[in-house]
Amino acid sequence: MADRNTLLKKIGEISFTLDDLRLFLDTHPLDENAMKLYQQNMLQRKELLKQYADDFEPLTTDCICLESNGSQNTCTRYPGQKHWTWSDGPAPWDLAANEAAVIKGGA
Amino acid sequence: MWNYEKRLQFPVHITKPCPKTASLIMSQFGGPDGELSASMRYLSQRYSMPCKEVGGLLTDIGTEELAHLEIICAIICQLTKNITAQQAKTSGFDAYYIDHTSALWPAAAAGLPFNACEFQSKGDAIADLTEDLAAEQKARTTYDNLIRIIDDPEVLAPLKFLRQREVVHFQRFGEAMEKIKEKLDAKNFYYFNPEFDKQFVKS
Repeated sequence: MADRNTLLKKIGEISFTLDDLRLFLDTHPLDENAMKLYQQNMLQRKELLKQYADDFEPLTTDCICLESNGSQNTCTRYPGQKHWTWSDGPAPWDLAANEAAVIKGGA
Repeated sequence: MWNYEKRLQFPVHITKPCPKTASLIMSQFGGPDGELSASMRYLSQRYSMPCKEVGGLLTDIGTEELAHLEIICAIICQLTKNITAQQAKTSGFDAYYIDHTSALWPAAAAGLPFNACEFQSKGDAIADLTEDLAAEQKARTTYDNLIRIIDDPEVLAPLKFLRQREVVHFQRFGEAMEKIKEKLDAKNFYYFNPEFDKQFVKS
């Protein structure tokens, strides 16, 4: 299992590649090389988002899993209980909560 | 429709609070060339944009600006974390503190509240895209000014990222302008409104 920060950094990098390619493709819709890059990165991003949701908590509403009790490695008020995992984990802007989450995740 | 993603587009990790710096960066939240203004400008303009691809670009850049707004707010949030009333008083943050404590409220560095009059949605594709190009340059200038007077590398990292995005958006809006011009009379691009005077637009 990758640690929280490493995985989040990877997701950030791949998502940014897609953000930039998206704008490029908006004005260059026939660029096959850019489309190929978009496709590769999009698939990788989907896998990483799923991995992050499995290991920690969902980053997008599409990654919410209602069947599980949530990850052991996330900060939650309901450990081991079936619960709504969308509110697990730190707010993206909360530095202290992010640091606590890294310690909890056993970096 | 929008979906939220629980992460920042660029990481913000600021360990040294500085309310004075926060009060300056505030301008990129609610100031005249800030991210809120940018996002609302593009997301408002797209409905009447005559070229579908350009409307799509406005949606995508307007959406990215919302993520930039979140980065700016994260910076301000971390720069004002756990400050005391005394720190607010001595750091030039006191006037803001009186009305908003450490909460986020969109205003310019000089204290003017966010105002929709800071941007236009004119319903004229050439006029609107020219404003968008200028807006990206003005935002870049504001980031330049901030980067010149801020020393903390933890604050500078996200500001430099945001500055680079202004440059990329300028490039894309330039390309969008070329696309609009393809549909117009090359002898005179500027004598009518391509969104309204449709009889002059090439099919």
